[in-house]
Amino acid sequence: MSRGNYYLAAFLWLIIAFFVIYPLSIVVLESFKIAGTDSWGIQNYLEFFRDTYYLKTFGKTLLLSTLLLVTTTVFGVPLAYILARYRHTGKTIFTALILLPIVLPAFAGVFAFIIFFGKYGTLNLLLMDLGLVEKPINFIYGLHGLVFIQALHMLPFIVLGLSAGFTNIDPSFEEAAEVEGASGFRRFFTITLPLCTPSYMAGAVLVFLWPFTDWLTPLILGQHDLLPSVSYINIAYHFTDVHRKYMGIVAVVVSAVVCISLFLFARWWVEKRKYTGLSKGTTSEGRVIEPSALVKSGAYVYMVFIALLVLLIPIVLGLAAFSRKWVFEAFPTYWTLENFRLILLESPGLIKNSFLFSGIALVFGIAFGLPAAYIIVRTRVPGRDALDFVITLMLAFPGIAIGVSYLLAFWEGIPLATFWIIMPLALFTRRLPYFLRMAHSSYLQLDTSLEEAAEVSGASKIRTFFSISLPLLLKGVLVGVVMFFIMAFQEISTAIFLYRGGWETLPIGIYLNWHRGMEFGIAAAMAFLMIVITFILLLIISRVGGGVLKAAWGAGEK
Amino acid sequence: MAFIEIQNLFKRFKDVVAINRIQLEINKGEMLTLLGPSGCGKTTTLRCIAGLEKPEGGDIIIDGQPMLSAGFVPPSKRGIGMVFQNYAVWPHMKVFSNIVYGLKLQKIAKPQIRERASQVLELVGLAGLEDRYPAQLSGGQQQRVALARALVTNPKVLLLDEPLSNLDAKLREELRFEIKSLVRRMGITSVYVTHDQAEAMVISDRIAVMDSGNVVQIGTSHEIYKKPVNRFVADFIGTMNFMSGEVVEILQGRNAVGVRTDFSEKMVCTMPDGTAATPGTNVYASIRPEDVEVFAEPPQATENVFKGKIVHKAYLGNFLFFFVRVNDTMIRVQVPHHLSQEEGQELYLFLNPQKCMILT
Repeated sequence: MSRGNYYLAAFLWLIIAFFVIYPLSIVVLESFKIAGTDSWGIQNYLEFFRDTYYLKTFGKTLLLSTLLLVTTTVFGVPLAYILARYRHTGKTIFTALILLPIVLPAFAGVFAFIIFFGKYGTLNLLLMDLGLVEKPINFIYGLHGLVFIQALHMLPFIVLGLSAGFTNIDPSFEEAAEVEGASGFRRFFTITLPLCTPSYMAGAVLVFLWPFTDWLTPLILGQHDLLPSVSYINIAYHFTDVHRKYMGIVAVVVSAVVCISLFLFARWWVEKRKYTGLSKGTTSEGRVIEPSALVKSGAYVYMVFIALLVLLIPIVLGLAAFSRKWVFEAFPTYWTLENFRLILLESPGLIKNSFLFSGIALVFGIAFGLPAAYIIVRTRVPGRDALDFVITLMLAFPGIAIGVSYLLAFWEGIPLATFWIIMPLALFTRRLPYFLRMAHSSYLQLDTSLEEAAEVSGASKIRTFFSISLPLLLKGVLVGVVMFFIMAFQEISTAIFLYRGGWETLPIGIYLNWHRGMEFGIAAAMAFLMIVITFILLLIISRVGGGVLKAAWGAGEK
Repeated sequence: MAFIEIQNLFKRFKDVVAINRIQLEINKGEMLTLLGPSGCGKTTTLRCIAGLEKPEGGDIIIDGQPMLSAGFVPPSKRGIGMVFQNYAVWPHMKVFSNIVYGLKLQKIAKPQIRERASQVLELVGLAGLEDRYPAQLSGGQQQRVALARALVTNPKVLLLDEPLSNLDAKLREELRFEIKSLVRRMGITSVYVTHDQAEAMVISDRIAVMDSGNVVQIGTSHEIYKKPVNRFVADFIGTMNFMSGEVVEILQGRNAVGVRTDFSEKMVCTMPDGTAATPGTNVYASIRPEDVEVFAEPPQATENVFKGKIVHKAYLGNFLFFFVRVNDTMIRVQVPHHLSQEEGQELYLFLNPQKCMILT
């Protein structure tokens, strides 16, 4: 065991300690402070859990989580099955469309759906024009709309996990059931689905935790009484009202605790039943079947339906971006580039900031992620699993919690938050796992003997890494780079707490434009711009290799 | 009438013909092995019998009922039990649930299910392990679970797809005999797929040797070893010396032929039953290493005696292998382990005409 590995691991831990553990412990400490005094206690928590409003909020968040999970599962299971098992043309394009929401900013979807499904949105206006309804139908304002919009956003996580499961389970498990006399639904529910639960769980936990993370969608839809939205409002708007501030901090801590414990539970559960790798000598790669014509057309209709919903987002935002005064009309009538002119004229800094901050965050991400992947995959340094765990945990960690903790930790004690560098640093912390997981999974696939051969030939560890490992990992690393950039580019939950005048990014600009005066046109144009940029980056990814993406995000156990 | 009849079975994957219109009859209570190298179509044939593959042509008749010609009968309706190469023991169910899965589907009363399960567990030697998960079992135990699961429904036909290939050598040998005696005791008609000739010879009543989608020869182990129909079968089952040559003379009355080889003007070989060789035919004069006799001094025999030189000597415990060069032809010879000849020494080989056969 070389000493260098220990130093490297220690250095990585130092970074984690400073940027993750330290700020988070400050929030936790803060939540135990008794307002107006210097003493500590659990008063804040008692108050929080005695207050019926906060209890109701907590309960409603759990309810939303449950509804969200049920909805995504009900829609996701058939979708994953179709994508994984049926032989059909256009498989790639459908898969791409259905998975698209993973990389689209959540708020882009909300804006698009408000325009399309809103009270006087396109759909209602069309229905009324046709005389099918008298009064507009409330499609989205309320819990049902929240479930609808969040479900579409989170559906890919269920589909990815399950379709990987459907593809990877050993076909003979199902054949054995068939021979034993179980066919069709019976076989599916007793054998196929249970065997896929580990890969399902990996996605399901992220879905369930989403309502504990997403504050913006409920806010835009007028559903304030959910934990993350309450935290945001309490902390961002009532910083002077000490009571509300502390309730907000407690809400943040409670959300974070829920996220961590459920994530831990899911990980433990998945770990306990790893079914893949149990059977030896798999003969074929999954089973692709040719469904009957009826089933096949049903499957197509279903896929087209979901794909259209996803496609609505860029289409509607595009229409809104290139028009002005699109109100009370099913489709815009006045076409213009005015929105883009305004963006470039009044706030060119937003685009620059977005690229600059995400770019710097990306540099940090690579500088941290590559050595971390090396330590985790290739060494036996004690604590490497813990390192992996802490980093992966950031996937489930609410962005608000990071934002608040950075605000508390880097304002007075260590005044980092007065410099703009806090923005890329926060993005780096928040999106920590995205680069690492790509590097990690491609590292796992790299045969050790290739590296050992270099070392036997006389290359040092560092030389081996740069001359052998890195070139071979390049594909995975590149996908990780793009993925990280996309995710950093659309980050808002953490950044919203930290930006100061002149540091605004595109997502913050979108939020402010919506928030200030319902400047929908400009917000839509910005969102459209983001989607275009994301699309271009995605094209690069798919060129480099979409397979890497699937390998890293497919089944959680890989 | 045979219990299972395979008639003109034809199956292809895209452009590759996997099964080329084969005929096969399996008798009631018999254990028939499909033996062949990988890609010969043996597993595909088995999967067609199971109903896991849909053949393009031909028919399979099990116990008088057509599985294909009167509409495709799905695996669940064929009354079969199957043991898979990778066990396919469901990892999310305990041993007991694995075993009774099929019984439950048959809507059998609970107490009966328990009784049948414990009987079959006893039979395969897993009594007491009902509550384990497959992950807590060894490979051998998992395979026993698979076997129990296949047997518990009292299937008409038992299909085994290389069931022992994932086990280590010692266990494999043990389980061979166990499966054989178990199946024989229960009297189930079974089809066993393997690429291991020793396994096939131990376990089967009859062997069907397959090559590129065709059944090349069917017979008992003895018949196939002693009277292989062609070079492929002789090579695949056991070891054989092949000396290419040309038939030069038909020895009437002796049922033998003279073959000219690289090292001999006339080597006398027995003509197999039903073969009619004419002078000029290219053949392989063939003899098993254990049938070659060696002598230090020229032996009495007047034909098929050749002088050679030991090039390699390999000690294999209970016997020795000599690689003897006769002119430019290498002949493998299996001799008792006490022979003292060394590499480089010369000796005489007697290729007994009775044991020399010609193959094509």
